[in-house]
Amino acid sequence: MGLRSTLRYAALALLLVGLISSGVLWAQRRKPVVVTALMPAPFAQVTAPIVERFNRRHPGIELRVNRGPFETEAISDLAISSLLLGDSPYDLLLMDVTWTPKYAAAGWLAPLEPLLGEDALAGVVPGAREGNRFDGHLWRIPLVADMGLLYWRTDLMAAPPRSPDELMATAGALQRAGRVRWGYVWQGRQYEGLSCVFLEVLRGFGGQWLSASGDRVELGSPAGVAAASWLRQLIDQGITPRAVANFAEPEALQSFGAGDAALMRNWPYAWAELQKPGSPVRGKVGVTTMVAAAGGSPAGTQGSWGFSLVSQSPHPREAALVIAALTAPEVQKDLAQRLGYTPTLSALFEDPQLVAANPVLPELRRALEATVLRPLSPLYAQLSDILQRQLSEVITGEREAAEGMERAQRLSNQVLRASGLGAGGGAARS
Amino acid sequence: MTLLLTLPALLLLALVFAVPLLRYGWLSFHADSVITGLQPVPNGGANWLRLIEDERFWQDTVQTLRFAGLSVALELLVGLALALLLHHSWRGRTALRTITLLPWALPTAVMALGWRWIFNDPYGPINALVQALGLPALPFLSSPASTWLVVVLADVWKTTPFVALLLLAGLQSIPTDLYEAFALEGGTPAQALRRITLPLLLPYAFLAVLFRLAQALGVFDLVQILTGGGPAGSTETLALYSYLSAMRFLDFGYSATVMLGMFVLLLGLTAVLLLGRRWLAGGRA
Repeated sequence: MGLRSTLRYAALALLLVGLISSGVLWAQRRKPVVVTALMPAPFAQVTAPIVERFNRRHPGIELRVNRGPFETEAISDLAISSLLLGDSPYDLLLMDVTWTPKYAAAGWLAPLEPLLGEDALAGVVPGAREGNRFDGHLWRIPLVADMGLLYWRTDLMAAPPRSPDELMATAGALQRAGRVRWGYVWQGRQYEGLSCVFLEVLRGFGGQWLSASGDRVELGSPAGVAAASWLRQLIDQGITPRAVANFAEPEALQSFGAGDAALMRNWPYAWAELQKPGSPVRGKVGVTTMVAAAGGSPAGTQGSWGFSLVSQSPHPREAALVIAALTAPEVQKDLAQRLGYTPTLSALFEDPQLVAANPVLPELRRALEATVLRPLSPLYAQLSDILQRQLSEVITGEREAAEGMERAQRLSNQVLRASGLGAGGGAARS
Repeated sequence: MTLLLTLPALLLLALVFAVPLLRYGWLSFHADSVITGLQPVPNGGANWLRLIEDERFWQDTVQTLRFAGLSVALELLVGLALALLLHHSWRGRTALRTITLLPWALPTAVMALGWRWIFNDPYGPINALVQALGLPALPFLSSPASTWLVVVLADVWKTTPFVALLLLAGLQSIPTDLYEAFALEGGTPAQALRRITLPLLLPYAFLAVLFRLAQALGVFDLVQILTGGGPAGSTETLALYSYLSAMRFLDFGYSATVMLGMFVLLLGLTAVLLLGRRWLAGGRA
């Protein structure tokens, strides 16, 4: 073989190699990185146009949204099942605020500050900023803020009650005058909502669930007992129906929405429902913070939704980009405008367009400054379960408030101690 | 040779039953929770000691037995009545057979949501009826004394068709000439029921009870949706507790222990039933 033909073959080989490698590069450039996010069904539905816009603007990433179940705990079950198997199909999870410590402690989440910066929460309102950090890391970026609110009927009272006693007096008087069937409806079913209701009242009486050191549950304190017996009295005095012991959010909204109750405890979503055309209480509803006794402060339980990055995700960089894009101001504004979702960014609460569209926005902002966080503990689900069970016993009359709260405290501290997170030895009150 | 031929079936059984059971047994002697970073750490018999001292486990055991006992007993009674109705030919039989099967075909979750609404206080249809009679609405699902009975009712409504179907198969296997001979001898229908139908139906009833008891002791979806275990924990069952421990509390070691506790219970009950059956059969002979 002559030199010329050798060169020819070499040139041909080079050409082939070049063609193939550019083809591979081209194919890789064309094949976008797939990022999958798991969201509760309502979120998956309302973010569809936002996701579509994201995919148009980012040809290198294909964001896919997996539509999960409707109920909060059902979503968690689905996420946990997939994470336990060790090969999660999801890169991102839209998470409830109470899951963060548990998921982080289980090693399922990746810290976000290396990807999004230490100041990723700089623009977030105080009430939604907490609950995203645990153990020194940032695990979650909030998308929608949520907090407990007291709904009141503007046609039945001049101003909402501000203290527990005043609430009972106002509601009772309205009932006696025959103007409304029930005084006050809330969530009394044995589930997470009952813990949320109780935490607000507890704060209102000046108590706290977990000690500041985080190693001791203080439900048996005088404030804890006062809060539980107040809930019980509401039922005993007929201000709250006995059926509240099986009320979740929809049942409370049903009663208040039908005009059957003067006051209701619920989340911000209820506002839009009550203002729908055909609603018997449309234009007759005000929103404020929960009542508080002397020595306590009005509070709303924080219940935000936010994005977390799954530690098993093969594309953390792209997934972080998705988090930033989906929690951006224009997205939150869009969700607030179209659906009345409460934003988490401070600036949006002063946005004139949003304030015009949602007249209660300033009130929500005030409520967000007075939120109370459920204990940030990997054992939170267990602590809440104990509280729910004991509270349910108290409000159904199975047990006295003092005994029930003392029991809740003792059982909770047992759980903390058994896991090594409790106060050591005799230091724990039980 | 026999062993060789049954080997595939044995292997399959081992894979499906023995392996998970052994794994549970192993887990029950380990701490494996969110606190241990989901890594199993041997902890001796700590889980079992905790189980023995756990008031909630024993309360749930009583509640599970109470639920299973009453609902299976009612299902057997109503199922027998239905089976007798469906056995004899009459004008509405075909229609009734179809209607009877409907509850069995419905998914439990859908049915549970339905009952939750039916017993809603005060807007559900039952309370609408109660109030129309001038009585105050009843707290069906918000009183620990009554809620478990609503759960039993929902379960009976759904699974009676299954029992009725099994008993109907039993009825149809009884030769009709037995009844004819009995009638010729001057026996009354009531005597025929007691002397022929019931004894010959016993194996079928036993089968139905065994199946239903196993299902009722493991009841989960119905309770989870209808009551969530409340109020005051009065409807929580062992399956629900085990599920909560694993999926909500991420405490897999203890969840496995609760599950095994339930398994032991089921074994004991089955043994009692088998002995009871032998005793009944012996008594007749």
